[in-house]
Amino acid sequence: MNGDYMETIEPTLIVADAGPLIHLDELSALDVLRDYSGIAVPDAVWMEVLHHRPQALEQTNVRLFRQTTPPSSAQIKAITSLYTLHHGEREALSLCLSHSINTLITDDTAARLAAKTLNIKAHGTLGLLIRAVRKNFRTPSEVLSLLSAIPQMTTLHIRPSLLKDVIEKCRIEWKDNL
Amino acid sequence: MNNTVKAEIPYQLWQQAQTLVEQGWARNLQEIINEALHRYLESHQDILTESFIQDDVEWGLHGDD
Repeated sequence: MNGDYMETIEPTLIVADAGPLIHLDELSALDVLRDYSGIAVPDAVWMEVLHHRPQALEQTNVRLFRQTTPPSSAQIKAITSLYTLHHGEREALSLCLSHSINTLITDDTAARLAAKTLNIKAHGTLGLLIRAVRKNFRTPSEVLSLLSAIPQMTTLHIRPSLLKDVIEKCRIEWKDNL
Repeated sequence: MNNTVKAEIPYQLWQQAQTLVEQGWARNLQEIINEALHRYLESHQDILTESFIQDDVEWGLHGDD
């Protein structure tokens, strides 16, 4: 779906947790993040991705940059304990607050809950894939194929019946373009 | 009905938990483990995960970023 539109770069910085970077790369779809002007990856997340999916950090079509995180505030420490977050999630939330970045990409439920508490928007692999149609980065058919491939090609765990519902909802929304 | 589990706990965590018990912040190690498990399960409920995914799908389809 490249057509002859002019691709725009959103002047938007986001912070990444490991999940979406790993899962999107497993689907060869990390480029759906290409319109973000920068994707800050906290040290702990960088190390996690480096361990599990190093090739994700070598992609040149997205603007990933490693970012050292300042010491966590008392608020973040409390939320980390309350929601049993890992180092990477804690650093990601710290980075959002310290740099006034209001979007976090994560697939972790507890991290999303913590982000909500802190008024930080959180989006995950599924939302980012579906958004790719809205942004004209992928066709509806391509995204439906990617969604269907999640159980076989990725380490993202999602209840099969929920994934089926999501696919069906998208199919209905995009029925005129399939 | 209670179940008994055998689990390995990293030394540092065990030591921190013991300190809390010694200082009187918790009755015993079991109370801390129960509380930790309870909090983990509360923040990882199926219903929450599903709700976040549905919100995310809606944003993917119709969000204005």
